[in-house]
Parts: sequence; C-alpha cells; structure tokens
Amino acid sequence: MKRLLLFISIIALSYAFFQSKNLLNISAGVAIFLFGMKSLEEGFRFFIGGLLDKFLKKITNHLYKSILFGAVITVLMQSSGLAAVIAISFISAGLIELAQGIGIILGGNIGTTTGAWLIAGLGLKISIATYALPMLVFGMLFIFQENKRLKGIGYALAGLGFSFLGIAYMKEGFDAFKESVDLTQYAADGFMGIILFALIGAGMTIIMQSSHASLVLILTALSASQITYENAIALTIGANIGTTITAILGALGAGYEGKKLATAHFMINSLTGLTVIGFVPQWITFIDYTAPFFGIPQEEYALKLALYHTYFNLLCVVLFAPLVHGLVKVVNHIFKPKVTAENAIDDVLFINDVALDFPDTAQETLFKETKHLYTNVFDIIAQGLSVTKEDISSGMEAEDIIKLRNYALHVNMDDYYERRIKEIYGKIINFAIVAQGKFSEISDHQFVPIKNASIGIVEAFKAAKHMQKNMLRYLESDNEYIKSEYNHIRKNLIKHLRTMQMIFNTTEEDVAVLLLSKLKLDAQNYDIAANKSLDNLIRTNKITYTMATSLMNDTSYAYTIASELSKVAHILFMHSSTHVEESSEALILNEAEVSDLTHASSQRSTL
Amino acid sequence: MNGLKFIQNVKALFGLTPEDGEATKKKAIKELLKKLKLRHILLKQELKNETDLIKREAIHDSIKILKKQMKKGKDILDD
Repeated sequence: MKRLLLFISIIALSYAFFQSKNLLNISAGVAIFLFGMKSLEEGFRFFIGGLLDKFLKKITNHLYKSILFGAVITVLMQSSGLAAVIAISFISAGLIELAQGIGIILGGNIGTTTGAWLIAGLGLKISIATYALPMLVFGMLFIFQENKRLKGIGYALAGLGFSFLGIAYMKEGFDAFKESVDLTQYAADGFMGIILFALIGAGMTIIMQSSHASLVLILTALSASQITYENAIALTIGANIGTTITAILGALGAGYEGKKLATAHFMINSLTGLTVIGFVPQWITFIDYTAPFFGIPQEEYALKLALYHTYFNLLCVVLFAPLVHGLVKVVNHIFKPKVTAENAIDDVLFINDVALDFPDTAQETLFKETKHLYTNVFDIIAQGLSVTKEDISSGMEAEDIIKLRNYALHVNMDDYYERRIKEIYGKIINFAIVAQGKFSEISDHQFVPIKNASIGIVEAFKAAKHMQKNMLRYLESDNEYIKSEYNHIRKNLIKHLRTMQMIFNTTEEDVAVLLLSKLKLDAQNYDIAANKSLDNLIRTNKITYTMATSLMNDTSYAYTIASELSKVAHILFMHSSTHVEESSEALILNEAEVSDLTHASSQRSTL
Repeated sequence: MNGLKFIQNVKALFGLTPEDGEATKKKAIKELLKKLKLRHILLKQELKNETDLIKREAIHDSIKILKKQMKKGKDILDD
C-alpha cells in the first residue's frame, strides 16, 4: 500500500512539474529546506551524545526549567520535532519523568515561534540565498574534519545553508506564480473555510513531518499574496496540530511512557487549536490591535502571522503549564501497563526503537533491561536454592532461612527460562549489537560491558539449573552430612544474593565499593572452604563416592554462580547512572588483590 | 562568568581542550578514601561489641578489605 502511494505520488508530482516550472521550484525549495533541517538535526546529534544526559538531569528538575530547556533546544535546532524526539527517547529510557517531558514539549512550542519570526522578519526580506552559499562551503569544510564536534558544526552550518536555500527557492517559486496564477481565487471564507484550511495545514505538516517547513511554506505563500491572511492563520492552527502527529508516529516504536508523552503533546496542541479555531476573526482583531505595539505595520501580514503563531504557542503554555500534573494523570489513566501474570511470557520492559536514537538513552535502556533480566534470574536462582526471593530480601539470618526452608522446592527451571528469561535475553543481546554498530565510537566502554553482564546473568542461571537436580535430591536425603553440605552451599549463595541486593539498593558509594570487593572475596573463600570440607567427608567415609562427585560438581556450579554474579554486580554498579565515579572503580579490589587476601588468610589458618 | 572561563567552557564544549581527568579522579579518590576510613573505624568498633563468631568473621573480612582498599587508594594518590 505504501509503495503504491509512493508510486502514485511520483507520477502525480512528475506530471505537475512538467506542467508548472514554478511548482517545481516551490517543491524543490521544500525538499531542500527539509534536507537542511535533517542536516541541522544530524549536526546537533554530534553534540548531544553524552552531554544531554548530564544537562537534562540538571535542568529538568523543575517544570519551568524543562520549559526553558525545550525552548532553548528548539531555538538552537529550529526543530520542535527533535525536541519531542529527545523528550520521548529520554522518557522511554526513564532518564526523565513524564511531567518534565511535557515541559520540554511546551518549551518546544515556544521555541518554534522564533523560526516564524526569523523567516517573516529576515528570510522574506533579504536575499537569503546570499548567506546560504558561504554557509554550505564552510559547512562542508567542517564536515571533512576528524573532530566529532567540528563535524557537528559542519552539519549544522550546511543544514542552515540548505534551509536558507530552500526558503529562497520557495520564495522565487511563489513570486513567479503570482504573475501567472492567482491562488487566492481558491480561498475559502467563513468558519468552514477555516476548518478546511486547518485540515490542509495539518495534512501538509503530516506529509512533510515538519511544522517548520509548513510555516515557511505558509509565510512565503502569504508574502506572495497567494493565500489570504485568514486562511494562513487557519493553516498555522492545522500545522500546530499536524506536528503532534509526527511525534505520535515517532512514539509508535516507543514504550508506554513515550506514547503517553506523544498523546499529551497531541492533547495540548489540539485542545489549544480547538479553543482558538472558533475565534479566528476575534484573533485577527486582537492582532491588528497589538501589532503596532511591536512595531509591525498593518500591511505586514507575514509578521502578523508570526505574531499570531507566538500568541497561539504562548496560549498553549499558559493553558497547560498549570495543568501538567493533571495531564499526567489523564494519560496515565489512558495508558495502563499490562500486568504480566506469573505464568505468562515476560517480555522486555524498556527496549524499544526510540531508545536507539541517542547513545545515552541506548545505554540507559540496555542497563535497565539487564537489571530486569537480573531480577528474573535472581528469582529463579532463589527458587533453585529452595528459598524465595522474599526470604533473601528479608532481614532474616541466612541460617534461619535454611531452618525455615528445610525441604526441597520443586520448580521447573527450563520452563521458567522459556517464560521469563529467553525472550528478554535475546532482545537484550540484539539491542546491544545494534547499539554497538550504531554508536561504534563508545560501544567498547558503554555497551559491551553491559552486554557481558547479561551473558554473565544467564551463565549464573545455567549453573543454578545444573545444580538444582542434586540440590533437590540431597535436601531430601537421609544422609545428614550431604544435606548439611548442600545447606552450606545454599547459605553461602543466599548471602551472596543478599549482598548483591544491598549493592543495588545502597546510595552510599563506600558501602558499595566495600561490598563489591567482599563479593569477590566470599566467592574465593567459599571455594577453598568447600574443598576442605569435601576432603574430610571423603576421608571419613561419611558420604558415598556418588555423593562426593555430585558435591564436587555442584560446588563448582555454586562457585560459577557466585563469581559470575560478582562480575555482574561490578558491571551494573559501574554503569548505573547514579553517583558512580571513576574513583569507585579504582578502589574495588581486582581478582589478584582478592586472591592475596584469601591466601594470606588461609596461610594464617594453616599455621 | 569571566571571559577566560567562558572561552574555556566553549572550548571544552567543542572538544578542543582535554579535561584534566587525572586531577578530578584523584580528588574523587581522596573523598572516597575519607569515607572508607570512617567506615573502617565504625567496623572496628562494631567488631569490639560483636560476640557472634560468624558475624565477627564477616566484620573481620570487611576490615581486611578496607585496609587493602585504603592502601590501594593511598598508592594511587602518591603516584
């Protein structure tokens, strides 16, 4: 269907271009302008990787700061669409809250008005193409530089150059049109005319995926007197609503939070549009009355339209800024997350297409999904030890948990893997590989370690699965010695899992640094202690040789669980976005240093 | 913000000047070492009051780790 539509569009446009050279000029102008906008966006993407994460956290803690951020970023990038994409990506990754995202969208609405002023005030008055050409040359010079940020400047400059060139082409097309055709004969009066043109405005914005491009087209057409002032206002209202469809389309691949934001954006612009659409004549009077205060002459319709655009977007903010929390409640009510039943297949919670828009969001998403995987594996490892995750999270001593759960808990680990691990694990690995390819410059220190943590989590699960068979058998055994040995393994792993929970929950850096080293020490100590105990039992014939080999194997599996989980805790702690400094990494003991401590202790105990 | 600082910030934004990462790291290690020393004192006091053998062993292990970490931190600062 899409291909058929594309084919029909190409045929129709080709015929139209053959018939009218001016239409070709205007369409080429729109295409060059859109290409310029894309290039401008690309340029800013070179800057925002890594910077945006820190910046957003600092400035989006209050609504007014979020609005300011949205306004500034839209002024700089001249694209409210990119501001919306940033907000949707960061909300989906959980880096900012929905209310902050709405603030950014409201700010984006204010920021977009500057574009209208620039085009109406400068773009249509001076020979803008004169500035476009040197910008393109300098832009290209910068694009060929090695430095990432200089390259970004190059793309931004080239983007501006192309946008200016596009405006010049559109202007030229409409000016030439004026001499042969009078489009105002198609103008529609009255309320129905306003509705019709608002729909046209929304439609062309959806097609071009840019309200900015629509606005340029409306302004150039208005300045060439090809549309009436009233119809231009209606088109602007439509463009403001149409731009939200771009955000909705962008949020289709996003998680719940992204969809909520896109819906909020649609509600804000549509409700403001509906509020003003019935009062267009009154607005015209109001603008006529206020325009002289800004030094705008009565016959300057392009500037008056820019003023109207500003009023419209300010009204959005005035109406909805006080209602942001109410709006959050409404969209939360519309989008209720599905509750996964215990026996249902668990799927990813954070991974989605928009998460791959920026390196920060990709890293955060990968990190959160890996923690989700860990939560599931933590649950099943606990069950494999015949305890529950609640037992581990409780304040009970490990010895008391063992006493309480002194029977085998039969759980099908293969089935659990199919339902709650396999899908998530597969998607994490796939996401990490795509992110590594897309952001290759930073993949080694951002994506590869987290991907390895996921692999480690699943390795720990596999070891727990292998261990479970004998664990179930010997927990029900009459031989107290072998039962005691397996309880010893259980106790140590319970402590290990608990320490991991403490690392993930603590806010104190020194505690985490100490516990991460302790995890490694415990894993090694535990291996040595188990081997000694096993030797004694074999020498004194307290267990059979079958029991001995099982215990040897399971000790090895338990060690694998402990060591893999220690590595996982280390990686996840270092990549958590909260308060982790490079200094923490430096002070966490490595394997060799932990071995030194272990050998020093064992030598003391043998002396 | 004075002119020089502004130029430095703009240069850093455009990636034209490498940040002094080593100094920042050392400062952070110094801060963390202070916290670890405090934790070491707390654990030593805890060890004095603890009578349970298993818990004493766990605290002892933590103290050993802290000592090693403090030594490691000191070595980095001295470099």
